[in-house]
Amino acid sequence: MSLAEIWSYDFMRFALFSACLLGPACALLGVFVTLRGMAFFSDALAHSAVTGVAIGFLVQEKLGLNLDPMLTVLVFSLLQASFMAWLFHRSTLAPDTVIAFSFTGSVALGVIIIAMLGKYRLLDGILFGSIYANSPAGLMRQGMLALIIAAVLLTQMRGYTLSTLSPELAHGQRLRTAWMNYLFALLIAATVVTALKMLGALLLSALIVIPPAAAKLVSGSFRSLLLVSLVGGLAAPLLGVLTSATLNVPTGPAIVLMNVVFLLLCYGWRLTRHHPTTA
Amino acid sequence: MIEATPSPAGTVADAASPPSPAAFACRAPLLQVEQLGVRYGAHWALRGVDLDIWRGDLLAFIGPNGAGKSTLLKALLGLIQPTEGRIVHDDAALRIGYVPQKLSFDPTFPLTVGEFLAVSHPGRFWWFGGVPRRQRAAIMEALERLQVAGLERQLLGALSGGQFQRVLVASALLQQPELLLLDEPSANIDRRGSEELQRLLHELHASLGLTIVFVSHDLHFVHHLAARVGCLNQSFCGLGPPHEVLSEHFLAEAYGTALAPGRVHFHSHV
Repeated sequence: MSLAEIWSYDFMRFALFSACLLGPACALLGVFVTLRGMAFFSDALAHSAVTGVAIGFLVQEKLGLNLDPMLTVLVFSLLQASFMAWLFHRSTLAPDTVIAFSFTGSVALGVIIIAMLGKYRLLDGILFGSIYANSPAGLMRQGMLALIIAAVLLTQMRGYTLSTLSPELAHGQRLRTAWMNYLFALLIAATVVTALKMLGALLLSALIVIPPAAAKLVSGSFRSLLLVSLVGGLAAPLLGVLTSATLNVPTGPAIVLMNVVFLLLCYGWRLTRHHPTTA
Repeated sequence: MIEATPSPAGTVADAASPPSPAAFACRAPLLQVEQLGVRYGAHWALRGVDLDIWRGDLLAFIGPNGAGKSTLLKALLGLIQPTEGRIVHDDAALRIGYVPQKLSFDPTFPLTVGEFLAVSHPGRFWWFGGVPRRQRAAIMEALERLQVAGLERQLLGALSGGQFQRVLVASALLQQPELLLLDEPSANIDRRGSEELQRLLHELHASLGLTIVFVSHDLHFVHHLAARVGCLNQSFCGLGPPHEVLSEHFLAEAYGTALAPGRVHFHSHV
């Protein structure tokens, strides 16, 4: 398929616009997700969508309410994020233990509900998504999400950078870190809800984690980390969509593979030089 | 309990001795601590603490581990709410700079010294447009004051212990503080770095008229820097000039055991 052909289809144009909106937004969010050691946390929230969707269908079937499952995904993700954040602060359990049992527990609950409803085919869509399952309304939601992520993180960059570097320093400057942490978990949950249909739970975390992880390999300053993450976050999904259309391969995995290629390129570049110690 | 134990808002040791030559603090209280108590569960970290911190004070807290030194510092900063008592200051918006104890952070975090100071500055800035000129001037001034001007583009994780400590002090100065609180400033740095930091803190105190309060286990550092020393073990068992409080008598009271003769030479950690 040539570029002109690709552009002639509505669903392809929507997919490319989606890539341009979600890729950089996820990468910007991912800078703080990876630096805070929360990659597994975002993965757990993405997988909680299995239960969110399952509860949505359960409500539809058993209560007869015409409820958008994305609403139950949002509510369940927020509840799970709050529950995990509460356990981080209040329990003596290690964060990775909290994430592991929340993650597996919520997926297990979701699969049981889906099995009870006899809707196993739903799992495929939840886990892998489809970037072609897009619409102007969906694009609008993605645009809003990208704007909100950019507005929150860029205006609160000072607080998020300091609290990521050291919560004690942030406390010393009287920044309200608890409030910021909840807002950050909310952003991850909103990203899960908005991007789930396109990318699926399995692939979503790749878009959040890989671009900043790759950028960290080659960055000698925070500014370059942000810039390289945004470049990777834009380029990999765009090239993934184009590769999938040209070679007729599944889009989600193509996007993930492009992210991995970006990471390998960054790693190769790093190997050719010394580890950066100055900007 | 040693007789010289200060009770309410005062220092028996102080009252009994002439002012230390190093004490160039004026006796206007910047902050008053009244019958402060902080409890963690069933354990009182601090109890019945009375203290006046004067403008221009250069005050050190010493004491054994778990004596409540860091708790007192955090209570002064407002990070810990007192279980009982109160901390009073006239200025509702007292500007406090804080240098925490042993900052643990990911050494691969790609943040340069200049960027770290830019985010430590209370003003806003736009990451992609660089640091505004006014903020940049303040950052350069702070770096020069701490004699680390050449490190602006260095990654934070690549600094030595002494350099890192000075950068932390520079970041606290960007708050334009009236009161500078430091928790174990000489820990994790070598003797030379410690002496350099001591000299720089003296200069900051003299040139900016800063009120400095710090916690330290390093009696050598305390002896050469502080104008007043508070010997703490849940409450003050001595508060006054270093030559009085850094005596075997008070130290034995605070640390719970008599120190070996000749141990108090201010050259080693206790």
